[in-house]
Amino acid sequence: MALARADLESLLRARQLDRTLTTTLPPVEYDAAACGITALDVHLGGGFPRGQVSELVGPRSSGRTSLLHRMLAAATAHGELVALVDALDMFDVESASAAGIHLDRLLWIRGHVVSNPGMCRDMNQRALEQALRAFTLVLQAGNFGLVAFDVAEAPSHAIRRLPFTTWLRLQRMVEGSQTICLLVGSEPMARSSAGLTVKVGQRSEGKGQRFGVRLFDGLDVDASIVSARWRRFVLDAHDGSNDQRRSVLDTCEGGAPRELNNVRVSVSTICA
Amino acid sequence: MYACLYRPSAPDADAAVAVDAIAREFSPRYERHDDDVVAIDVAGLDRLLGPPSTIADELRREAADRGVRVHVAIAGTCAAALILAHARPGVTIIKRGEEADALAPIAIGILERVGHLQHSVLVRNGRRPSVLDTSEPVGTALTTFKAWGLKTLGELAALPPADLTSRLGRHALVWQALARGDDIRPLIPTLDEERFESSMDLDWPIGELEPLSFVLTRLLEPLSTRLERRDRGAAVLHILLRLVTRGSGAELYARRLELPSPMRDVRTLRTLALLDLESHPPPAGIDRVSIVIDPTPGRVLQHTLFTRAHPTPEQLSTLLARLAAVMGQDRIGVPATVDTYRPGAFAMTAFKTDQGPGAGDSGLGAGLQSQLPASSPHSLLMSALRRCRPPVPARVAIADGRPIRVTTDRHGFAGGVVVHCAGPWRTSGDWWAGSAGEVGGTTPERSVRGSSECECASEVSGGGAPRALRNDARASARDSLEPLRGAHAPSNSGGGGVPAAINKSRAPREVKNGVPRAFNRDEWDISLSDGAVYRIFQDRDTDAWFIDAIVD
Repeated sequence: MALARADLESLLRARQLDRTLTTTLPPVEYDAAACGITALDVHLGGGFPRGQVSELVGPRSSGRTSLLHRMLAAATAHGELVALVDALDMFDVESASAAGIHLDRLLWIRGHVVSNPGMCRDMNQRALEQALRAFTLVLQAGNFGLVAFDVAEAPSHAIRRLPFTTWLRLQRMVEGSQTICLLVGSEPMARSSAGLTVKVGQRSEGKGQRFGVRLFDGLDVDASIVSARWRRFVLDAHDGSNDQRRSVLDTCEGGAPRELNNVRVSVSTICA
Repeated sequence: MYACLYRPSAPDADAAVAVDAIAREFSPRYERHDDDVVAIDVAGLDRLLGPPSTIADELRREAADRGVRVHVAIAGTCAAALILAHARPGVTIIKRGEEADALAPIAIGILERVGHLQHSVLVRNGRRPSVLDTSEPVGTALTTFKAWGLKTLGELAALPPADLTSRLGRHALVWQALARGDDIRPLIPTLDEERFESSMDLDWPIGELEPLSFVLTRLLEPLSTRLERRDRGAAVLHILLRLVTRGSGAELYARRLELPSPMRDVRTLRTLALLDLESHPPPAGIDRVSIVIDPTPGRVLQHTLFTRAHPTPEQLSTLLARLAAVMGQDRIGVPATVDTYRPGAFAMTAFKTDQGPGAGDSGLGAGLQSQLPASSPHSLLMSALRRCRPPVPARVAIADGRPIRVTTDRHGFAGGVVVHCAGPWRTSGDWWAGSAGEVGGTTPERSVRGSSECECASEVSGGGAPRALRNDARASARDSLEPLRGAHAPSNSGGGGVPAAINKSRAPREVKNGVPRAFNRDEWDISLSDGAVYRIFQDRDTDAWFIDAIVD
């Protein structure tokens, strides 16, 4: 059994698919880019990893778009070019401007999804694949600070119909680059290809919304790190070397050993 | 040694050619400053013609033979020769090292003309003026010099450089160097405009694009090399294809690619040409391929150590062409806000491929984000909307003037019981662009947040000054009488039909026959039992309800 497993692992390594293995992780240090939320950045060891596929997932009205806008704003504020593949054409320019995104540094790619396809049910699936192709082209071009693929309102079955190798290919494509590859969806989609998965949701059922007498004030949301494979890469690679990054994280946690996963960060959104 | 010819009479085209021709007769290294001024590098001519005085006489005689009367000055520096040719008629010859003394009695006002000439040469050759160039308007400095009582170049040259710099900045050193007759840059030889063209006749016609790519590479490679040698880039790429047709005359198929930034990379040019031909394929086989390039001065890039590298213009141009081929030209670009109150309106502009080095800002800067604390453990985010394009038709049950239940037939919008709601806010505009009867009345221009009761949605009339608007971004915009040129609106992206059970009409198109259509709506923010928060509105002209956006 062990021999067969070793053979399988060596075969995966030979085909450069060893990223799917959880036993041997490459000792690579990834650069990180702050997302603009200090508490989350501290827990993430600096922010979202560059050269990794990250996911930002949550249900409708969970604050995922607000967080995406903050990340875009932070990247453009540092002079980086960013790209948004808006597969369902739902990007709101006013909100983006209010969030502080420098719009002239944002390449916006609008999807062709039809809101009511009628009998042509495959039309939207094709449009989704088309958007994915555009996303791939942007990643291949390189040197974008952040490239986001927004399929937050796409039905789950449409995402599941995309081949699993899609995400592996994306990971392979972005690896070693200085780009944050961000997937925004309602549920995790990249699975083992994802370096970081942050889940956002309203703080508690029905109580995460702040309605005033006449105004909607905003949302109270929790961001939790449900998977941080890339952080484990870093910590494993530097285990026992008193790495500065490790000590910073320990300090943040009062010296107590900390599990990276299941960290929750509270965030509030406000209406302009 | 440098010689300068200056023709003092009024400029005319023939004389300009003559001055150029005289310079070309004596040296290939000449720099045309203007139609009537040319500087010539005469180093080495002494072995051919003799001492500088002989060279000057020869120059003057050549000009006289062509019917042009010129001032001739020969000096050790180009700047000194240029100033002397302007200041003194006839022939002036200054020995090397005596330029400052020769220039000293000349009036300081001549710097204005000389500075302008120096700058125009740099601009014409595509050089980016640096701090030591004469890009700074001389008028300001001259005024200061005159206010100090300086009248001659000698008086300016005698000032202490350190004190001059501390008072006027580093640009003052440029003027002082010119006053001393020092060159502030090397001579930039003027070259004839070269035509960048290449053609290939094919033995057998080409019917597909794949073999054409090899031909294009073959044609573009030597052109790229020539462009590089001349420090030029391609501004426009002309592809001329002679088609094989049944008729007697050969048909020419031409494509013109305007490149967003000067480039000469063969792969990029070939890819752009092929992508364009894929979108606009020639209707018949090709038996002759010609490439013509309109050149432009090459790009000068200064990278920085402190910001991340951007994609190169070549990469971005190729990317945009590929994206346009996949998604369509109108689906990619830079979003831009529009000067209107129309909810969800936006415009798209072309993405700039020549992005300068990243100009990082100290904070998040723009928009309302600057009002938020920069960072805190409990961070605040600006609520974002996800627009439904077009708005989703909905059924809304009303009780006590408030929506209590929202349902739709649209997949993915199940609807439900309204748990919380806020509103309404009345928004209207663009009624002035169409006929008044079309919008059903004279709605005040900017209506604002009303009371919590639906039927009491207040309208602010008289003066139309905006009150507390719901969205500061919207408040920052100002209604304009201009139509929305190139603007998009939430419902203009086409889309499927609307179930008849909900209402007979779909969301009103925002632009009709190029004229923005009036909008007049009451908006609500509602929270449904599934936890989602929506922005819905009722079109006051049709009384139909729509889901406009999702708060996320």
